[in-house]
Amino acid sequence: MYKNRHVVFALFLQLGLTTMDFAAAPAAGDDAAEKLATQVCVSCHGPGGNSTSPTFPKLAAQQPAYVVAQIKAFRGKTRGEPEAHDYMLGMATLIDDTTAEALGRFFARQSPPKGIPGDARVIAQGKGVFEHGVPDRGVVACATCHGATAAGMGIFPRLAGQHSAYVIKQLRAIQSQLRESPVMHGIVKDLKPDEMTALATFLQSLD
Amino acid sequence: MHLSGACAFVLAILIPAQNALAVPAYARQTGQACIACHVSFPELTPYGRNFKLSGYTIGVRQTIPLALMAQAGVVDVKNNKDDQGNPIVPKPKKIELSAASLFLAGKVNDNVGGFVQWTYSNLNVNNAGDTVGHSGIDNADIRAVGRIENDDKTDIKWLYGATLHNNPTAQDVWNSTPAFGFPFTGPPNGIGPNAATIIDGGLAQQVAGIGAYVFWNRTIYAELTGYRTADGAFSALRAGQDTHTPGGVARLKGTNPYWRLAYNREWGAQSLMFGTYGLIVDRYPDNTLPSTPTDRFTDVAVDAQYQYITDPHTLTAQATYIHEKQDYRASYPATLDGSPIGAGPTPDNFGDRIHTTKFKVSYYYEHRYGSTLAYFSTRGNNDAGLYAPGSVNGSINGSPNSAGYIVELSYSPIQYLRLLLQYTGYTKFNGTTTNYDGSGRNAKDNNTLFLNAWVAY
Repeated sequence: MYKNRHVVFALFLQLGLTTMDFAAAPAAGDDAAEKLATQVCVSCHGPGGNSTSPTFPKLAAQQPAYVVAQIKAFRGKTRGEPEAHDYMLGMATLIDDTTAEALGRFFARQSPPKGIPGDARVIAQGKGVFEHGVPDRGVVACATCHGATAAGMGIFPRLAGQHSAYVIKQLRAIQSQLRESPVMHGIVKDLKPDEMTALATFLQSLD
Repeated sequence: MHLSGACAFVLAILIPAQNALAVPAYARQTGQACIACHVSFPELTPYGRNFKLSGYTIGVRQTIPLALMAQAGVVDVKNNKDDQGNPIVPKPKKIELSAASLFLAGKVNDNVGGFVQWTYSNLNVNNAGDTVGHSGIDNADIRAVGRIENDDKTDIKWLYGATLHNNPTAQDVWNSTPAFGFPFTGPPNGIGPNAATIIDGGLAQQVAGIGAYVFWNRTIYAELTGYRTADGAFSALRAGQDTHTPGGVARLKGTNPYWRLAYNREWGAQSLMFGTYGLIVDRYPDNTLPSTPTDRFTDVAVDAQYQYITDPHTLTAQATYIHEKQDYRASYPATLDGSPIGAGPTPDNFGDRIHTTKFKVSYYYEHRYGSTLAYFSTRGNNDAGLYAPGSVNGSINGSPNSAGYIVELSYSPIQYLRLLLQYTGYTKFNGTTTNYDGSGRNAKDNNTLFLNAWVAY
């Protein structure tokens, strides 16, 4: 079937030989990022980005482009919610662009957080909003950008397994435009509090 | 009314509530707001504990690693007159600057960091009984740290370090131990009970402590430290102390061991610690006579801390129980002989025991409005040689027993300023509730109301 079996075999061999993921040739900033992640970020975001306190979002298995974008948002002060201000504004000034990209890669390769079960009815309601949106209020289905399993895509973050309290807080921050996110603002501006809670509970329950 | 104090209050009202970025030395180093590390200074959050155990090395080294702190307040004692009608606490009911501190604080590199605090006390009462200004070193803690990551490189498995400091338990990161335990501030020249365990402030800024610690998996903390009198090469650690007057600073013999073991858990927005700590001290009865035999004090303590830190609610609690065995192996025979050692203790017993219990619970709303309720008690066996009758500070029955409560309300309109209202009530003082000193003074006569403004920049 394959034209050049030797080339294919060599490729598979290389994939097998690399111990981490197959983009594993250490890129610029990987060491510095790993050091920062294990010595500093871990204090709030938890080991491997698996935070236990809902004040600090889980970063494990997060989309790398999203991590980079948020670090830049903290630096550029477009995230104005109080915790961003109090904890991350200054932290982000310690992170240059190369380290930000490396941090994105670091968190991306961590194991995804485990889902936490919740009230079945609330979860069902949340699932409904996630998969179908609320068409009569212009709320687009979240799955469109965040993926069918809420694992995220490109610059759209992974939401699966995230602290429900954190999700609710961010939805409110986006609604009030404390967090500058024009696309998201357009989508969630008419989302109701009970819908936010249902969405957040559903997302927290996902693996 | 002193202008400086009035200005502090007026300023507090005029400055609108806002989250500004420019902050004290560590905040400047990390770029974070005070609340990242502190529940309310100085109580630490889990991240703050990690920052301290990491040798204060997180962040970028500052060119000018300085910070300032000042406190001004008003004190009102329920009955401020002794049995002769003289005032006990100087300058009550007047706004006074009580202290100003300068901190040299921050990282040297990724492995070395610390802080040195120098304090000017405006209301220091000297040996002649006059209130004069006095400055000297305050708490100091310098560390060198190392880290070993876990196998998947997601966390630090071993965080270890060495510390040089000048106050037993100032190096501790939980606020259940004496040095950084509640109350975090109090009336300068306040009237306090006689009896206290030696680890409870008895050696502050008089000793040099060199210790090593390890924090495994953020779960087990273990430390061993040795304390020596801060003389010779370590004299800077007690700079400003009166080392010449008999009965002034404590003088210890040799190296005196301290240990600390703690079990720590962090989950969700909560953290919990159970621990034990202790100290064995050989102390010369008179600090100006360092060739006599020594008395031995053995302190063994247990402590616990719980914190629930979220937005907008924060709830924290600390408790500690300290047991002290006082072995007057030097002072008792000398006293019995009729020739006590210099200005040293004159106990009636060969050995005494005292124990102190402290408990406090705090609630903060939006990191801005705070309330605290605390209970304290010291009990022990009677010793009329140590606790003799005397106006205000004496004991009619030779008992060390004192107990009371503290109620505090605080408000932080901006993160550099905290306004505090503190009420300390005594249910028992130096042995009993009524006529405790033999001159007609009651425990509740020492109840104190304290209004305080604390600024940090």
